[in-house]
Amino acid sequence: MKTIATVTLAFVTAILVNAQEQKWVAPRTSDDHPDMQGAWARRGTRIQEANGLVSPLGEFSSTGQPYPTIFNTGVATALDRATLAVQKTGVVDPADRVLPWRPEADAARREFILHMIPPASLKYVEPTARCVLPGPVDGDDRSPFFIIQRPGSFVLAYEYNHVTRVIYTDGRPHVGKKLRFFMGDSIGRWEGDTLVVDTTNFNDKTSLAQTIPYHSEELHTAERFTRVSPNLIEYQLTLEDPKLFTKPIRVAGYFAAAPKDTEPMEFACAEGSQTLPNVFGIEFAPTR
Amino acid sequence: MKALLASWAMLISAGMPLLGQAPARLPRTPDAKPDLNGIWQALNTASWDLEDHTGALHTPPGQSVVEGGEIPYRPEAVAKKAQNFAGREKYDLAEAACYLPGVPRAMYMPYPFEIIQTPKLIEMNFSFAHARRNIIGDGTPHPDGFPDFWMGDSRGRWEGDVLVVDVKNLDERTWLDHAGDYHSDALHVVERYTMIDPTHIQYEATLEDPKVFTRPWKINMTLYKILDKNAKILEYECVYYLQDEKYGNAKPVVVSK
Repeated sequence: MKTIATVTLAFVTAILVNAQEQKWVAPRTSDDHPDMQGAWARRGTRIQEANGLVSPLGEFSSTGQPYPTIFNTGVATALDRATLAVQKTGVVDPADRVLPWRPEADAARREFILHMIPPASLKYVEPTARCVLPGPVDGDDRSPFFIIQRPGSFVLAYEYNHVTRVIYTDGRPHVGKKLRFFMGDSIGRWEGDTLVVDTTNFNDKTSLAQTIPYHSEELHTAERFTRVSPNLIEYQLTLEDPKLFTKPIRVAGYFAAAPKDTEPMEFACAEGSQTLPNVFGIEFAPTR
Repeated sequence: MKALLASWAMLISAGMPLLGQAPARLPRTPDAKPDLNGIWQALNTASWDLEDHTGALHTPPGQSVVEGGEIPYRPEAVAKKAQNFAGREKYDLAEAACYLPGVPRAMYMPYPFEIIQTPKLIEMNFSFAHARRNIIGDGTPHPDGFPDFWMGDSRGRWEGDVLVVDVKNLDERTWLDHAGDYHSDALHVVERYTMIDPTHIQYEATLEDPKVFTRPWKINMTLYKILDKNAKILEYECVYYLQDEKYGNAKPVVVSK
């Protein structure tokens, strides 16, 4: 009897705590959407497959990644570890993290990555090592992210490689089909208190993970940003690429509040990178 | 009659900024500052040459945007500028390597940029090289001990309706234009953004660099708002294009272990 009472009490408490959590309502912007503005640390959005494929890029870092580490030791978050420990991260669908590869596409990328270290030619150089815009997944999560909201647009500014995504929510359509971008063309809309971002018009020049070195132009993503507490935005990224996968895959992560005084600093990449000159023995820009 | 007067009043007030009188009705942010949000672009040839220049192959002609016409170089700096000019195809890193163009050059590259304005942080997102400026407006000064940045360290404040941005820590490798006009790491830029009507910003920058110039000097130009429907900043990822050109057919020198 005592056990039942305890269990019941625990159950009631859980409901109460749950109710309390649900009561939290995000502060609003002037156009009455949840206010997510500020500095954030992104975590967990990596695509890690449960298929035993070894990244060839583990060795690559020893030859000199372009990322500066002197000023970028990693952005802290104000959230406690216990809160973060229960957050879903990484591939959540499929649950076993075995990606729904098309067999021929899986074979092709396995063959491809054999030529990446050392790169057999320019096309085998890992895209982020070229300091170009990172595409839908990559980016250095040691660097903070900044969210700015204006009526009609939502801005996600990465410190990493000064990537700026201006996501219009003013009802405009995607740009024309011929246009292709590293970051794709993003259009947002609000579903209640969740920002849903639809991105098309990708080029095929960015990687999805160290073991997924490219994707096709048919890549189509959907992202969901939901601010669930003062210090946490839950994030989901669904990727569809019919040339690679037979089904969409879904990745979870989150943005945790960074210290309030976090300022965006300059993350110049191409200007300092010696990766390509080292690989090809040809200088990129003159020094004098 | 009243309606007629009112429309006259509107016409007059709309024309006034051009006459240097009371400002036109400006769009305002919730904190009552002029609303600079939007996509802008300079429509001049300053990025080719800040000073007067006659047209040449791949160089559109243009009049000087420098107050007084000429940049006041120190005598010993004139030769360096001439040397830069001679080697501009190779050594102008913004053009030759698609590197971040620096400040103030980013403001008059022939590509659009977007201003994203909040009370304490103004971001500028440039099409060229996906460059960005982070203009910190929370009242903090330039931090001590920062290194030099390609785009400098920008601190903004409002003087009435004028956005004033103080820029230091500028990397000496950026040039001011494709004609080899240059600066040192001592460059200090003070920019003034004055919105003169809803679609025009008067842009003024004062450049002070005692290692290169005999006195502070100014550039002055108009920034025009891009009004095309659904306009957005598109990627001009020229580092990638240049890498393809340089290394596309190259053989790696790195050998397998």
